[in-house]
Amino acid sequence: MAGISRRMLLQATAGAGLGSLAAPRIAHAAGDSATIGWPSDVPAWDPNQRFVPDAQSLYKMVFDQPLNQDPKLTLVGALVKKWEMAPDARSLNLEFRDDVMFSNGDKFTSSDFSWTFFDRIKAGHKVDIAQSMRKVIGIDTPTPTTAVMRFDSPAPTTPVWLAFLGSFVVPRAYMEKVGLEGFNAKPVGTGPYTLAEYQMNARIVLERNETYWGPKPALKRITVEVIKDPSARVAAIQSGQVDITINVPVREVLRLKQAPGLVGELNPITRVILLQVRNDEGFADPNVRLAAHHAIDKKALSQAFYGGAAVPLTVPATPGSPGYLDDYTFAYDPELAKQLLAKSGFSPEKPKKIRMASTNGQFPNDFDMARAIVAMWKKVGIEAELEVIEYAKYFELNRGNKLPEATLYSFDNATGDPEIYAGYLLNPKLPFSPWKDMVFGQKIIDMFNVADEKERIAGWRKLNQEAAELGATMPLLQSVQTLVRKQNLEYQRFGNGWVLGQTMRWSG
Amino acid sequence: MQLLATLGRRLLVVLPILFVVSALLFTALRVLPVDPAAMSMPPTATRDEIEAARRAMGLDQPLPQQYAIWLGHVVHGDFGRSIHLRRDVVELVRQTLPATIELALCAMLVAAVLGLAGGLLLFALRDNPAEPVAETGTTLMMSVPEFLWALLFIFVFGVALQAMPFTGRLDPGMIRPDITGFLLLDALLAGRLDILRSAAAHMVLPAFALGIAFAPPIMRVLRSSLLDVYHEDYIHQARLRGLSETRILLRHALKNAILPTLTLMGVQFGFLFGGSLLVEVIYSYPGLGNLMVDAVRNADLPIIQAVGLTYCVVVLVINSVVDGLYLTLNPRLRAR
Repeated sequence: MAGISRRMLLQATAGAGLGSLAAPRIAHAAGDSATIGWPSDVPAWDPNQRFVPDAQSLYKMVFDQPLNQDPKLTLVGALVKKWEMAPDARSLNLEFRDDVMFSNGDKFTSSDFSWTFFDRIKAGHKVDIAQSMRKVIGIDTPTPTTAVMRFDSPAPTTPVWLAFLGSFVVPRAYMEKVGLEGFNAKPVGTGPYTLAEYQMNARIVLERNETYWGPKPALKRITVEVIKDPSARVAAIQSGQVDITINVPVREVLRLKQAPGLVGELNPITRVILLQVRNDEGFADPNVRLAAHHAIDKKALSQAFYGGAAVPLTVPATPGSPGYLDDYTFAYDPELAKQLLAKSGFSPEKPKKIRMASTNGQFPNDFDMARAIVAMWKKVGIEAELEVIEYAKYFELNRGNKLPEATLYSFDNATGDPEIYAGYLLNPKLPFSPWKDMVFGQKIIDMFNVADEKERIAGWRKLNQEAAELGATMPLLQSVQTLVRKQNLEYQRFGNGWVLGQTMRWSG
Repeated sequence: MQLLATLGRRLLVVLPILFVVSALLFTALRVLPVDPAAMSMPPTATRDEIEAARRAMGLDQPLPQQYAIWLGHVVHGDFGRSIHLRRDVVELVRQTLPATIELALCAMLVAAVLGLAGGLLLFALRDNPAEPVAETGTTLMMSVPEFLWALLFIFVFGVALQAMPFTGRLDPGMIRPDITGFLLLDALLAGRLDILRSAAAHMVLPAFALGIAFAPPIMRVLRSSLLDVYHEDYIHQARLRGLSETRILLRHALKNAILPTLTLMGVQFGFLFGGSLLVEVIYSYPGLGNLMVDAVRNADLPIIQAVGLTYCVVVLVINSVVDGLYLTLNPRLRAR
């Protein structure tokens, strides 16, 4: 011991301490687990509570929906085996699987369905699905595997909503026993994974549900790291701290796809980017509205901000969805825009002055895109004063009728159903639409009550075209989901951007 | 006894400050052009339903009445429920506050160690040709904002060297012991050295990112105080007694020069605590700052109000503690 001084001992201890801290912890087990870098947390573990599009993928790992969507967004059965809407769309017959268990061991029955979509709403639970199920006046449960939903007016989109935001089945008995706080602390679902650990705003650890009724997930454990900052998500995938991540800047996807062992994807999804417009003030004149639309070079926007991957749109619907019009074009034609403006007495020298709003950071490159549109407009004779608004401000401004003539907006509709595009974006009675003209607005409202499916889809397609020709909407691009993953981590791509742990597996 | 009386007096001042801050906070949030009622409803809600929610939330009442109702609940410890998360706000703050305090304390430790060491170095380099270089270094440290330090550290230590973790508080798979909410402390109490090591590793980058910009002012104040102290007679007398320069510095000069530094650190802790917002978001650190950023994004007024007041209380408490320390260390103040 004589040779060891106090200083040496302290130095050795400090060195060992720092060394142990600095040791790389990046040791992910490829094989039976994967780590996802996700941009947001769930608002709560009660999946019916809030409509948060980004949380749907997280909920879908723990809970099941009555109906599901396949990768191409076609409705398919899940907990519901068969469904049949009445011709008048005032009732919906459902037949459930009888082999589904909740992760606490309780058997799923029609009573749980009734609890989720009707009884708990009537019991006063503050859940957002009260909105999507507002037409429901009762759910009959003649047997444990059948149910009949009854509506106060035609509700043709109910099957779609049963696979959409917040529509996840929760267990009646368990929820009644533990209460809402208890359920949020220890959620129970019928999904392919169960919640093993949760730390708000940081981490979700999911373990495979070994009693899952559906295909057994390949990976035993999914860890979701909640990483809100895009730069940190880039760093996390680049350093190997996560295996897959989404919503990183487009330029980073293009850079990272060159990196060995990583794959970068720009996947078109059901989110549309559009200009929400008013029908009055500076946009009261249809010539000005149509000129504004003709003046926008959507291909250039896609190339500049999405590497060309975002599909230019002419109607508020995405390619492949029922409301999309393959054969309808709305030309980029600056000369026509100038002519339309000239008819109303405006020119680049004597521009029409309007206001425009955009968020900054709500979706990738939003503000830059707005600036590019302002520049395009200036060339034809529209001078737009651009202001930045918070996303949270959009509804308040619209409620007070204070939105400017045009607002750059992004709208997510995982179902692809035309009612949930145009029906919400252009309905003067809903808070999304700054378009208040009731002549066109009433046509939109009336479409909600069309029961016949063929007639319904045809109606929405017609209204989509009419909206574009009226200048009531200026659809710009189909948004893309940016995704970076390890090359040997395979997953199922969905048209609505779901990223599900149960579809992941390691290859090679 | 005198110390306690002084502290008591200072704590009494806290109450009117809290009252004023709460009134300002409440008023400022109510005049913001956001609609908490609309935010509390799904986007599919109709205008009538939003109006009904507004009435239910009391937002149709005159502002003073809204404030009176809110204050009445707050004094009973009820900050209401989160609009977005629909959970008890006090519980949310209780869950996240320890993480932020722990981060702020670690960052303060980083700032203090770097600041004191740097201050001594600056003092040692006085009138030395290397002094301007050191001064430039401190200016640089101070000029870079904490979020940029955070990103730089992630790039260097997380991506380039792949040496340090930079998301969350623990390695995946580790279940944290929940005793006090202070993870480092809980790991020690539970005797889990593996968790302690992981938690400490996860703390290094955020603590440095947050603390590093606060070190230069400490360095400069310490250096300046030391320069002042070295003009005092007792330093000359110590030299005449034949004490070494190191002994004079550490045993005599530093003891007196550190008092203004301590005051500065107390003030800094408030800024540092408030500065944790972006650092927490960047490092996915589940603290009060992260909660606040989400609340602002969702116009979740009950959370913003509660977190705002919590920041205020923490800063006031820390200032009172520093005052107490200052009184303890400086007998001349106690005599006044």
